[in-house]
Amino acid sequence: MIRFLKNRIHRGASPSQSLALGTLEFELMEILWSNGQSSVRDVVPKLSRPLAYTTVMTTLDRLFKKGLLDRHKSDRAFVYSPSFSHQEWERRRAGNLVAGFLSGPNPSRELLLSCLLDAVGEHDATLLDDLEKKIRNRRKELLRQGQP
Amino acid sequence: MILPYLLRLLCLCFASFFVLNAAAGLIVRFSAKSAIRFAESRSPNAAARFLLILRLLPFALATLFVSALCVPSYLWLEPGATAERVGITCAILGILGAATWSVSIARTIRSLRASMRYSWLCRSVGHESRQPAGPSSVFVVEPVVVLQEEAPILALSGLLRPRLLISRSVLRALSAEELDAALAHEHAHRTSRDNVKRLLILLAPDMIPFVRSLRLLEHSWSKFAEWAADDQATAGDSSRAVCLAAALVQVARMGSAPRLPFLSTSLLACDSDLSARVDRLLCADAMTLPHASKIRPGVRTAGLMLVGALAALLLAPSALSSVHELLEFLLR
Repeated sequence: MIRFLKNRIHRGASPSQSLALGTLEFELMEILWSNGQSSVRDVVPKLSRPLAYTTVMTTLDRLFKKGLLDRHKSDRAFVYSPSFSHQEWERRRAGNLVAGFLSGPNPSRELLLSCLLDAVGEHDATLLDDLEKKIRNRRKELLRQGQP
Repeated sequence: MILPYLLRLLCLCFASFFVLNAAAGLIVRFSAKSAIRFAESRSPNAAARFLLILRLLPFALATLFVSALCVPSYLWLEPGATAERVGITCAILGILGAATWSVSIARTIRSLRASMRYSWLCRSVGHESRQPAGPSSVFVVEPVVVLQEEAPILALSGLLRPRLLISRSVLRALSAEELDAALAHEHAHRTSRDNVKRLLILLAPDMIPFVRSLRLLEHSWSKFAEWAADDQATAGDSSRAVCLAAALVQVARMGSAPRLPFLSTSLLACDSDLSARVDRLLCADAMTLPHASKIRPGVRTAGLMLVGALAALLLAPSALSSVHELLEFLLR
């Protein structure tokens, strides 16, 4: 009962805190997003570097307490599954970031909007550069084939 | 609630329309993703036609049922000059039906007014010519309104006599070949009457008032209509396709265009599709000649025969009496 209450209290951490992930946490989440339900034993061999069973177990437990994973017991071991999809996690993270900025004073809101506009503008410019490059290549290809 | 003869007919018409439109709309809504996947395997022209038919199908079926069955069966089989009780369910459905119609008619009128106002404004600000003044020696078969604007505008606006709107900045930025391809794209929209199709989409009532539940189909239709216009403009010519792709990128680089009324098509109709459109134009294998996949005459004849048989079955006196019984049930 005490453990359950402790977990509930831990899982009630602020959303922005719970969505921020370390490198190992993110790697574990990615494994679970691609494989679905997995136990610690299933996850360990899929890691990019060898890690101790207990390290993975502790990290998965931390992710559960952050509310990012669900778990149930099967044959004395916990089986973990993601609480929401990768896309949903990205959406919540972006939402938290924006909400954090918008809850601040006016200058930070303006800063956020201007940064967003800059980022979108840069993305658009890069995309258009790529498309222009493709067009140039295609023109060269057509010229080589003898078409104007 | 006791209603006189004609008001009861009106209530029944709206209620039956609402029920049928919602039922057919639900089926279309749930099959939309599969329909789009099927459309993707067809030529853009056939895909656009298929999606438009699917979008208008609930409205067409409901209207056909009401006008061809409900009204005749009521007028023929319902004794006149009697005031009859109308159940609360029928009254609510009737109100919902009337609301869906009112919403669609109101938005159509609003869009028509916005489109007319925009066309009038453009004509009064710009000048109309048969040949766009610029570096191009492009032939233009329709009158063009040249706008003294820096915003990138290249659009077709209006319904019966749509006008081509071009801002001077676009004329300056595009080469003669690019402009030629871009104008051919807009001409393709004109010949396929895409603005009239947009009007039909606006006019087709939604399943539930104020909820545009078939947006996915509308968006996909819009995408395929653009692709079909691209295909028609390039006519399978690779170098022309490259010119159109270059025109698209050039216009996109000039910044975002002002928001145009719904009843108009512009070169960059949906910005999100730009990359896909350019990739398609550059990939010669993906290009198909316009009207490549026509419906075979045999299929058309079979379809017409099926429609004829259905009409004969539905208009039989027994069908009318069955419909009348159904209406009586709905009325209670």
